[in-house]
Amino acid sequence: MALRPSTSWIVPFALVGVVVFLVVGSVDSALFAQQTVSGLANGGIYASLAVALVVIYRATEVINFAQGALATFTTYVAWQLITWGLSYWEAFLATLAVAFVGGFLLELVVIRQVERRGNVLTVVIAAIGLLILVEGATGWIWGNGIKFVPSPFPAHFYHLGGATFSLQDIGTIGISLASVVVLWGFFQFTKAGLGMRAAAVRPEAARLVGVRVSWMLSLGWALAAVLGAIAGLLAAPNPSYLLQPSMMDGVLIYAFAAAVVGGLESAFGAVVGGLLIGVLLNLLSAYVSWVTPQLLLPVAFVIMLVVLLVKPSGLFGRTRVRKV
Amino acid sequence: MTKRMKAALVLAVLAVAAAAVSAAFAASARTPGVTAKTITIGGTFPLTGPAALYGVIPKAEAAYFKYVNSKGGVHGRKIIFKYYDDGYNPANTVPLTKKLVEQDHVFADYGSLGTAPNLAIRGYLNKAKVPHVLVATGDSYWATQAKVYPWTIGFQPDYPGESRVYGQFIRNKVPQAKIGILMQDDAYGKNYYDGLIQGLGPAASKVVDVEKYDATQTDVSSQIVKLKAAGANVVAIFALPTQTITALVVITKIGWHPTAFINNVSASPLFMALAQKSGANVDGDISATYLQDTINNPKTAAAILYKSILKKYDPGADPNDANNLYGVASAWTLVKALEDSGKTPTRSSFMSALTHMNWKNPFLYPGLKMLTTPKERFPIDQQILEQYKSGAWHPFGHVFSKAR
Amino acid sequence: MRPKPATLAGLVVTLAVAAAIALIPFALSNYHRSTGADVAVFFVAILALNIVTGYTGQISIGHGAFMAIGGYATAILTHDHGWNDIATLPIAAICGFIAGVIVGVPALRFQGVYLALTTFAVALAVPQLAKNYSHLTGGTEGLALPTHTGMWLYGVGWAVAAVMFAIAWLLLRGRTGRAFRAVRDSEIAAASSGVTLAVYKTVSFGISAGMAAVAGSVYVLVNNFVNPDVFGLTLSLYILIGAVVGGLGSLWGVLAGACFIQLLPIALTTGSVGSSQSVPVVFGAVVIGVMALLPLGAANLLRVALHFGSQWRQHSDTPLGTEGR
Repeated sequence: MALRPSTSWIVPFALVGVVVFLVVGSVDSALFAQQTVSGLANGGIYASLAVALVVIYRATEVINFAQGALATFTTYVAWQLITWGLSYWEAFLATLAVAFVGGFLLELVVIRQVERRGNVLTVVIAAIGLLILVEGATGWIWGNGIKFVPSPFPAHFYHLGGATFSLQDIGTIGISLASVVVLWGFFQFTKAGLGMRAAAVRPEAARLVGVRVSWMLSLGWALAAVLGAIAGLLAAPNPSYLLQPSMMDGVLIYAFAAAVVGGLESAFGAVVGGLLIGVLLNLLSAYVSWVTPQLLLPVAFVIMLVVLLVKPSGLFGRTRVRKV
Repeated sequence: MTKRMKAALVLAVLAVAAAAVSAAFAASARTPGVTAKTITIGGTFPLTGPAALYGVIPKAEAAYFKYVNSKGGVHGRKIIFKYYDDGYNPANTVPLTKKLVEQDHVFADYGSLGTAPNLAIRGYLNKAKVPHVLVATGDSYWATQAKVYPWTIGFQPDYPGESRVYGQFIRNKVPQAKIGILMQDDAYGKNYYDGLIQGLGPAASKVVDVEKYDATQTDVSSQIVKLKAAGANVVAIFALPTQTITALVVITKIGWHPTAFINNVSASPLFMALAQKSGANVDGDISATYLQDTINNPKTAAAILYKSILKKYDPGADPNDANNLYGVASAWTLVKALEDSGKTPTRSSFMSALTHMNWKNPFLYPGLKMLTTPKERFPIDQQILEQYKSGAWHPFGHVFSKAR
Repeated sequence: MRPKPATLAGLVVTLAVAAAIALIPFALSNYHRSTGADVAVFFVAILALNIVTGYTGQISIGHGAFMAIGGYATAILTHDHGWNDIATLPIAAICGFIAGVIVGVPALRFQGVYLALTTFAVALAVPQLAKNYSHLTGGTEGLALPTHTGMWLYGVGWAVAAVMFAIAWLLLRGRTGRAFRAVRDSEIAAASSGVTLAVYKTVSFGISAGMAAVAGSVYVLVNNFVNPDVFGLTLSLYILIGAVVGGLGSLWGVLAGACFIQLLPIALTTGSVGSSQSVPVVFGAVVIGVMALLPLGAANLLRVALHFGSQWRQHSDTPLGTEGR
């Protein structure tokens, strides 16, 4: 499979244009600034889950529809730990560890069996089955009532030139970006990260140089689970989500879109996609009045599809040459 | 006594006994769901999906029934309560309801939740003459369309009735009101909107802005900002719990201090606490209630009973989640209706009991009465306003009666 | 795999199954007849999905949207304009076909996951449109239709299923079917042997959507109700599960798939104690298990057991897109 590097300067140029638009708008109008920041915060949650989707996709070409439900499950684990007396940060780190191990084992024990004899679509269906199972299990174990998860950020509001921003939103953007940067560093500079990239692109060659390809798959699921856990922990204290079994259902929709629009091979693209979608939804809701509330979702998707029509492999995706 | 007379007496006794036995048998054979020892009821509820937070209700109801069963049941019959998950999807509600009626042979469809799911099964149940009772939705149809659907009856105060109370209050007590409304853009929101406008009467001209959102939107901040910009000093939030909490947080965040009216469904102490923890300043907000105030008056018999039932039969349940109290209050109503249906209930006697209510439900706010007639089928049409202060709702003012 | 009429065995089995389906309802209760009607609905929906995904290789997780179009067409015509139920079905099919072509045209540009996202977006958008035009659709409170007996529903459902099956069979054994399969197996080869990709891909979407719309119509008749929640994303996912569990690219698997997604959850609900909280857990586990043990679906099991059809592709190639690797 030959890959041509992404061709254009068009995409970065367009993105810079969008950033300029957002900055100018924010300076101009308090409402615009507030909508942009809270849109970026929502976008940060979409982005974290989207990167999780990309990690698994890059390794296996599978869209893991269960990623959101798994994220919710790990957030419940955090809630349980906090209820049992751990401090927030202790529970946070413990949850990430549980997510890592859980994701690893899930791939090793369950997904591997499906991958072995099936094809991509088979694994996707298994992932949908997993979604149904995990969301059901979450409600079964912890019940359906909404639960409270504290935020790592105290409820502070900052005022800047007529606009108000919450520390929660700013912190969410920060953590989402930080986790992606850490992930990027992992892929670029660590042996395991390089091994994962090699295993995804050229499994046979990777095996020849000593990479244990099957372990790399499990590692991919483990990392995705950690990213999902972070997304869940950021969403749960946010009043727009709240800890309930269906918490990440809406997020998954936008994370999927973000990953595809960003270009499925690129984690950076997923982040950009997520942030853009978050801002797009908020600005559409605030400014475009002919879009009735019900049409917001379809319009947002039409816009995304237009982007894809222009760039069918996503913003930062690579066009592939197809061999006969 | 001659031998003949003795024989005649024995025959008479046997005949009466046979008649009695066959009558009892025939009654239970004719009435599905009723046996000598049990009575089976069933309903559909969202246990999964976005409305799953209401899934606590059937569990609370089941808990109450277990309590009643532990005391011997109703007229010696234990209540068997079957509830299925429809995920709030009417395409699931219909086959599950058919299952309840035709396979589980329930005596009645009880407490099913959701306007659309209930609209989907109403025709089927009425055609089959199966009681469709105490439905968990605040729409008015269950009372206003009783002529066409006589086997259906609701439970909670209807949404327009509730917001009418808010309207009347604002009209009489808040003369300088400039009213902003945040509403869900569908029948749910519209029900509240219509009631508010009716209650306001001439004061309806004081509505300065109406902002709408769709149930799929979680972020309602732009709507709140617009309401503030329109100059409102009173805001009515007619939304689902998630959007209500978000709205309350945003109101505080943008430094706005209106008097907020919150619909009862979204005003559970649990949600108010969540809003507060997320930074909302919710003191002074107003809502309405019809349930017992178990939080401020934890020592009443009803409050103690409520908590002990949850603790024993529904251990994971949070007593501060008003949905649990709702469930227990509803379950009490069902049991009372069964008691009033006679020693051997039939579906007709059951409906008769429900359409001739004159009860004091201990789980309702003191002084409220459950009253119905066959023509007037709102079991609860009284409410009391409450204001949120220092972490709890405090009822105030008088009971609004017959708010229609 | 298409059943070869040349094989007597194939014909006999088809007739036996058809006879069984025709005769069973007489032994069933009213409730089970309704359930049978539901199976028929999903039979048609999975058949429809098979045409576009199994045979033409275009992934769709949006067939719930096409069902919605048919369902609403039937509901509106019956409820507001007094049409006869059955008479609405051809209209639904036409509306679905048009919708399928509308989706199929931009879909030409996309492959694999990108196409999946497009259909995903359609699945989410259609219920929102139904909510938006509430004066027409009844909005969230929907439209309630008259009820029917289980026997009527069963009869209508399976009659429709039989007609759709016949149409699919005729279509797929002929030139169109060969063209579809050529598109699935290798677009480049197909194009270079004269298959106009754009036309066949769009047509396959159109036909598939038209069939799904008819399934949606019957679905609405079975439930005597329609509202946007009936056609959520879950519906599309379940149809896909049914198609894959049944076996893509096989007309026989369709029946197995429909039974799986309709009958298993009901059986689990019956079996659960007290409440149905455990149903999704068990169902999800079974789906995973089936994918692990029968990755090519029930149809493959049938093929192996009954030596049906040698055209069946053995190999676990992705039927989605043709990105070479």
